[in-house]
Amino acid sequence: MANTHQPQLNLTDIEQMLRRQGYITDDAVAMSVFLSLQLNKPLLVEGPAGVGKTEIAKVMARALQTDLIRLQCYEGLDATHALYEWNYQRQLLHLKMTEHDGQSVTEKEKTIFSDEFLMKRPLLQAITHHKKPVLLIDEIDRSDEEFESFLLEVLSDWQITIPETGTIKATNIPQVILTGNRTRELSEALRRRCLYLYIDYPDFEKEWLVVKSKVPEIDTKLAEQITRFMQALRQMKLEKTPGVAETLDWAMALAALHIDYLDRSVIEQTLGVILKDWRDTRQAQLSLSELMEKTGIISKIEL
Amino acid sequence: MFLAPAVAETGAVVQPPDKKPATAFNLTSFMLQRHTSLSQNIIHFCRYLRGKGFTLGVDEEITALKALECIDYSSRQVLKLALKAICCKSQKQLHEFDALFNDYWQELGKAVDAKVKTGPEKKIQTNGKDASFTSLKSWLNGHRNQETEEMAVYSVQESLTKKDFSAVPDDEVDELMRNIKALSKRLAAHINRRYQRDNHANIPDLRRTLRKNMRRGGELLDIVFHQPKRNRTKLVILCDVSKSMDLYAAFLLQFMYAFQQVYKRVETFAFSTGLQRITTLLKQRDFATAMQWVQGQNQGWGGGTKIGESLHRFTEDYAGQLLDKRTIVIIMSDGWDTGDIPVLQHSMETIRNKCRKIIWLNPLAGYHAYSPGVAGMKAALPYVHVFAPAHNAESLRRLGQWL
Repeated sequence: MANTHQPQLNLTDIEQMLRRQGYITDDAVAMSVFLSLQLNKPLLVEGPAGVGKTEIAKVMARALQTDLIRLQCYEGLDATHALYEWNYQRQLLHLKMTEHDGQSVTEKEKTIFSDEFLMKRPLLQAITHHKKPVLLIDEIDRSDEEFESFLLEVLSDWQITIPETGTIKATNIPQVILTGNRTRELSEALRRRCLYLYIDYPDFEKEWLVVKSKVPEIDTKLAEQITRFMQALRQMKLEKTPGVAETLDWAMALAALHIDYLDRSVIEQTLGVILKDWRDTRQAQLSLSELMEKTGIISKIEL
Repeated sequence: MFLAPAVAETGAVVQPPDKKPATAFNLTSFMLQRHTSLSQNIIHFCRYLRGKGFTLGVDEEITALKALECIDYSSRQVLKLALKAICCKSQKQLHEFDALFNDYWQELGKAVDAKVKTGPEKKIQTNGKDASFTSLKSWLNGHRNQETEEMAVYSVQESLTKKDFSAVPDDEVDELMRNIKALSKRLAAHINRRYQRDNHANIPDLRRTLRKNMRRGGELLDIVFHQPKRNRTKLVILCDVSKSMDLYAAFLLQFMYAFQQVYKRVETFAFSTGLQRITTLLKQRDFATAMQWVQGQNQGWGGGTKIGESLHRFTEDYAGQLLDKRTIVIIMSDGWDTGDIPVLQHSMETIRNKCRKIIWLNPLAGYHAYSPGVAGMKAALPYVHVFAPAHNAESLRRLGQWL
């Protein structure tokens, strides 16, 4: 399955590529992305909300200089929404307009079941794309099990049959990324078809780098404080643990307010940026002193 | 034990298995011969993982070998990451992988000249000490009682449905289990019937189509389709499997087993001192094997109960994802909580706020003189929508009306 179209990449290239695109990563992520590119296998990414699962696909598309096609899964998503639909209204109007043209039925049929009247949905789009795209199947675990098995079929055959026109074979096999939140256990069959990657909340160093690279205007000290605070916050038992996305929101908010260090009132006023549940907010407020001590904020003020 | 007794034909596809694996990590002067032994080691390693419960097939082995072509395998770290990406299929496996990887290559180093020996497989230990549960346990273990086959007389069935599960004599357990199975199937089919139109997707709704297109002069521009009514209800079952309850739990789970088909999703958890998700387990294996496995797995099975803590774990790890206004939560427990009562209340409140209905099944509620005197039960009751007994087949049948 060695890819002949693409230049031979190696692991360090991938790491650099990801970093250039602003994605701070670790070895495991780079290796998974690298292998999935090299071996042409789908990559299944799991992890808690807000750790940058979807971002991987975006970065990959940018790094490969190709398009990203996204299929957002939800409960009740079915094959027609993922594959194609005939533009019924347009077909009807077309027939109405050409009513007196005297074309034969077969001719008419041929026109209205042509590409023009076909509405391509993400999967068909990905298959017929002119260039090898990155296909992101987001939150696959939210879809129903039937859809999952349908997806399995498409992912292995890379062809779609439309009764009216025939079978469409993939021009380029897309690079597939699936993401999941572990809402539902995915089937063993799907797992086996993919490479697996679990992304957890980042450690201090990594998160700090992310903050610095995404919010470059931020004060260095503040970035460190924010990161430490978030790390301590995640240790608490919360209803909804904030992810990296929240950290970045917070950093951006504080940077926009031109604040250069954290203190009690600042945290209290801006807590809503990182905690989205009132019970969490209350709990965080109650243990704020402890959190600040862990973060080392108090000692800095005393200096 | 570093080579698991695995199926041999998978290795044979690529290379015949090597009897004397070489140390793989002195690879600075790397030659073709070395390469061969590395490939073999990887095949062996895959089999070793398979023995540890990883689901790996020939596919993965081939992928692993292909990956060797594009990585710098002289670095142990790189090799580890690559194999990790290929062999692991879940978070749990990711956690186990590092240790297994190190073990394997270490053993390999030691075993250069030693012959490969396979240790005997550890059997799942079942604690069948308690006499009153022996019959059920033996049923679960698959030793069906042959004598009872002939006893399937109608009158026996009749009296069995009224009998408390714990009072069922050993030789009738098998019979009762079969009754419950049939009963649950019948009930499940009954619920199913209301939604039979499911099969016909996208039927045009003529009446609405005509009405909608009246304003366009009768030209049928928009077609309205029937959305077939589907049962979107989900079930979450939390089953107490502590000592006092495990008999009832087995019967309830058997009963709920048939409902897997009816509901959009059924999630099952077992709890005692800890919480364990057993949904996939029940789906994959047949019921008896699954239960046996749970017993072997769950340390707390048959131990004390911490309801509050278990429910709290549930609200933390799963409630956000699993519960919504279409979910019915069934909790099966006698309310004997040895843990923290406020935690129980708090968790019950969270669950209540997130789901449609909480059904609490308490086997003790079947007795006439029963009043919820236990602290845990008292604390939980205000949050419960339906409180029902589940001590005999008859009460399980009545449970059908709430589902």
